Amino acid sequence: MKLLTCPMNGPRNIDEFQSLGPVRAAPDPDASSDAEWARHLFRADNRKGVALEWWRHVPSNFFFLAERNVVTNEVIRTFAPSDEGRP
Amino acid sequence: MSPLARQFPLSTGGSAQGIGLPNGAVELVDLTAKPRFGIKGPGSSAWLKGRGITLPPVNRIGTHGDLRVLRLGGEDFLVVDGELDTLTVHWNNATGPRGYWSWREEGWAWMRLSGRAVDGVMARLCALDLRAGRFCEDEIAQTRVAQLEAVLVRAGEGFDVFFDIAATAFFVRTVIHAAKQAAGERT
Repeated sequence: MKLLTCPMNGPRNIDEFQSLGPVRAAPDPDASSDAEWARHLFRADNRKGVALEWWRHVPSNFFFLAERNVVTNEVIRTFAPSDEGRP
Repeated sequence: MSPLARQFPLSTGGSAQGIGLPNGAVELVDLTAKPRFGIKGPGSSAWLKGRGITLPPVNRIGTHGDLRVLRLGGEDFLVVDGELDTLTVHWNNATGPRGYWSWREEGWAWMRLSGRAVDGVMARLCALDLRAGRFCEDEIAQTRVAQLEAVLVRAGEGFDVFFDIAATAFFVRTVIHAAKQAAGERT
């Protein structure tokens, strides 16, 4: 069983989680060009290394952040959005 | 039957009508008709504190008189047992911030598993370590039980499970299947 640690519920089976993708800055739709907006909507960076991602613990509907190495799949840490130390 | 009477999945005409509840080494009791009080959202904890209720930490159960207060999140509460009608009337008449009604009675089935084989069956239904001493009386597990998202608490020697009322028949069948497996029957 693969485990992920939810900041509110503790270590749980990965089946209990939903991955919501990397945290991304949303461009201002009024100030950005069509190309910038299209890139925001349809393209992903997919870079190697550590990514900051949104995850959701489904049974409790708790949304949190995880730092995960997308090459090794190692989860470095998980934390609530309200926690200090959020990048 | 009155058109205003509530209909539950296991009652006549309900979506799970005719499903028999196991009543042997594992016993399943449907408590869905029991009243409960559920609120969530900003203002919920302040309103409950204003009623003089001491709030437990998240994923813990507190008591206030006969009330059992389950804290499912920072601003997410389920209250069972005790004089819930009074609490509901006060909440309905409240004018300030009070959270919003989370429809726990209509949305969640409430099943109680007990019996001498309950531990073995729960081990097949849930991945958490639910042994006595590891999962305490005042703890809440929000997890997957019988392949469904559920809220799980201890109830005496057994467990209470709250889950999506639409999955009642599936839940009962999954428990029956797990009970047979735990008893060594081929399924």
